[in-house]
Amino acid sequence: MRSSISSFRERLRLPRLFFRRPSLEEQIHGGPPLEFERPIPPAPWRGIAVSVTIIVIAATVFWEMYARSLGYGPTLNDNEDLWTMARRKVQPESIVIVGDSRAWFDFDLDELQKGLGKRPIQLAMAGSTVWPVLSDLAGDNNFHGTIICSFVPMLFFAPPGSPPMERAEKGVKRLHSQTPAQRVGEYLGIPLEEHVAFLKPDDLSLEALLNRLPIPNRPGALVPPRFPPYFQTEDRERRARMWEKCAEPGSKLAKEIQQIWLPLFTPPPPPTYIPKDVFFATVKKGMEQRFADVIAAIEKIRGRGGKIVFVRFPHSGGLKELEDRITPRERTWDPLIQKSGVPGIYYSDFPELSNFDCPEWSHLTAGDSVEFTKRLVPHLQTALAR
Amino acid sequence: MLFNSLTFVVFFVVVLILFWSLASWTAQKNVLVVASYIFYGAWNPPFAALLFSTTAMDFWLGRQLAKAKGKPSHRWWLVASVCMNLSMLGFFKYGNFLLENFQWLLARIGVMYQPPHLDILLPVGISFYTFHSLSYTLDIYRGVLQPTRSLRDFVLAVSFFPQLVAGPIVRAGDFLPQLVRPQRLKTNQFLWGLALMTLGLFEKVVLADTLLSGPADRIFNYAGPLVAMDSWAGVLAFAGQIFFDFAGYSICAIGAALTLGFHLKDNFRFPYAAIGFSDFWRRWHISLSTFLRDYLYIPLGGNQVGPFRAALNLVIVMFIGGLWHGAAWTFVVWGLLHGSYLVMERVLRVSFENKSWASSPGIRVLAGFATYGAVCVAWVFFRASNFTVASRMLNGMFGGHQNGGDAILSTRELLQIGIITAGVIAMHWVMRDESFETTVMRLPAWAITGIGSIMAFAIIFTQGNSNAFIYFQF
Repeated sequence: MRSSISSFRERLRLPRLFFRRPSLEEQIHGGPPLEFERPIPPAPWRGIAVSVTIIVIAATVFWEMYARSLGYGPTLNDNEDLWTMARRKVQPESIVIVGDSRAWFDFDLDELQKGLGKRPIQLAMAGSTVWPVLSDLAGDNNFHGTIICSFVPMLFFAPPGSPPMERAEKGVKRLHSQTPAQRVGEYLGIPLEEHVAFLKPDDLSLEALLNRLPIPNRPGALVPPRFPPYFQTEDRERRARMWEKCAEPGSKLAKEIQQIWLPLFTPPPPPTYIPKDVFFATVKKGMEQRFADVIAAIEKIRGRGGKIVFVRFPHSGGLKELEDRITPRERTWDPLIQKSGVPGIYYSDFPELSNFDCPEWSHLTAGDSVEFTKRLVPHLQTALAR
Repeated sequence: MLFNSLTFVVFFVVVLILFWSLASWTAQKNVLVVASYIFYGAWNPPFAALLFSTTAMDFWLGRQLAKAKGKPSHRWWLVASVCMNLSMLGFFKYGNFLLENFQWLLARIGVMYQPPHLDILLPVGISFYTFHSLSYTLDIYRGVLQPTRSLRDFVLAVSFFPQLVAGPIVRAGDFLPQLVRPQRLKTNQFLWGLALMTLGLFEKVVLADTLLSGPADRIFNYAGPLVAMDSWAGVLAFAGQIFFDFAGYSICAIGAALTLGFHLKDNFRFPYAAIGFSDFWRRWHISLSTFLRDYLYIPLGGNQVGPFRAALNLVIVMFIGGLWHGAAWTFVVWGLLHGSYLVMERVLRVSFENKSWASSPGIRVLAGFATYGAVCVAWVFFRASNFTVASRMLNGMFGGHQNGGDAILSTRELLQIGIITAGVIAMHWVMRDESFETTVMRLPAWAITGIGSIMAFAIIFTQGNSNAFIYFQF
């Protein structure tokens, strides 16, 4: 068998400027380095390079056209770097929106600016719990602005290590550890995403397509539920708008997403390796701890002169039924408002906020989000004036 | 800066244009020094100063070593260089680990001591560049290298960006001679370099990150017991992930260096077709294993001492090799496992070397699969965050869970892992006795074009999310 360096055409080419003649012992043991060149396999490399370039460009253009023919358009992807970019804009007296995807979809920044006098900064993240972001703002001693916080119980109480917690933690971690290279990468990536439709890691990447293969799983396999496909656009301010294809009432996409929410919002069965009573006691303790942590963070922010208001956004259909059953208002929203002493706006308490329909049961369409925000503003003004 | 990022693409194009458009070799080298420091500083600018100070110290110590008269003085300068390099590594990488273990030891004898937790940020790739730099003074001490008179050349040898943060560990003696004469742009070499970068990125972005890392992470992060199939699938996924991640980086580094006219040695040679553990270490992370062989194993006496001492030397070397990978006892156990594998192999070799059946093809293939299996078992300790996880994994793999455990991987993930594992093992066996270049040479141009196009498009199609390479943390 050939030695590890025998693949190189070893030959002494240069004067022995650096090396002395190796001793016999050194030669035996691998000894001194020799001048070497890597072999270049003989092949028509120019022709190959030109052909590969043409094929790859053609395949990419085809893929782009195919993505557009499916209705996809260029839009930004929500990631930690885009979130960090928005978070860096937070000034001591800013109005910031935090929480989950309902605050991300359902708020119109123009209407909020008109009503509250300042352009808010959108920091809500889809599928995330609010705690890490709230904790980060509480720890920022300069911040004494206004926080508008969305409340979805299943996400609000997400335990450490769960996907909603990891999603939010990733953003906060990136804020504090973003390297100059990552920052430059985001600035380079934005124009590309704004012009190329197939750049949708959650929907049109190899992994996303493999995920959709209809291969049945083993009975009893604890495979995590699917996440919804692409159904929103996002701009540089992180304003999300529902994709028209999903916004059409009764559309195929909306129906598909409805059926994805149900397993996602259903609590997973208790782990097999922890006794049930211990598990439920841990969950209860975790919820109490989250209440306590959030209240402590709120007190810190309010102690500096900051303001906070909780908002429960519209949701409908089977998802509303599920949420009402699993996380009823009396056990989640009411104690939070009561214990924290913070104003809260529950959409169904106000007729003008209650008559919105969510096509996929969880979010408002882009058009409805403008109207909803317009109607919500007076309630926000009242709540923040307290 | 990661190879699999848009930032690197722009950076690399600018560097290539600048480098090849300059007529002066000195100016070209200056461009590479600046580019390498920008590449490194793009993680954390202050760490570039640390890199420079380590390099400058070794440059000066190298000169003192060469000037020193007499063996004791010679040795003193070497000790100074080794201590300087290892203390840097020790402080940044092992500071908290040493404190925690010191605290544990004191607690055993009844002394309660609460050391402060040092908030130390690990400079990326410190283990690699420390070894790049240390090889210089070690080779001068061994009398196989003369010190360079150019600080700039030495700075470039240590910090050359393709190999700076995750290897291969390029010895100063391998790189400095390449700085003597100007490089000429050779089209075939340049294009072959780009082809290697495409292959490396394909391995990293498509195979390691997209197809294997997800299932491996889920299995190793799962808090409960797992069924045997999922446990094995997780370990096989990690075995594939770490190979494609690290070999992919090495190939990218070799390719990037080639486009700039520099030649770096192979770091991997089809390791999953190794027959025996000494063969494995001739194929896996070759630059580290040869570094440890030349600068530790041989000075300890290598195999030129009695069998017991030789075995002990192997274990010591692998212990250090394990610790080099990370400041945790799991890495030490990984190293010690490999050390014990190597010792066992020696014993078996002595017992069976005269048996004709021992070298029959069937036995060789069986031995190859046994090697792969044992390497996978050792990977459990490498990947597990602590011994609880490692023991849970081993119990799952060998049916140690009384109630069977949970199945958490989808059928699609199991298929993915199975196909890739079978593919990588088959490819390694097909190519095990030749170089990668020889295999490519045999392919017709249309096949190279087809494979290259598929890989390049797959990288674009995958839309990687710039996951860091595993070996950056070392």
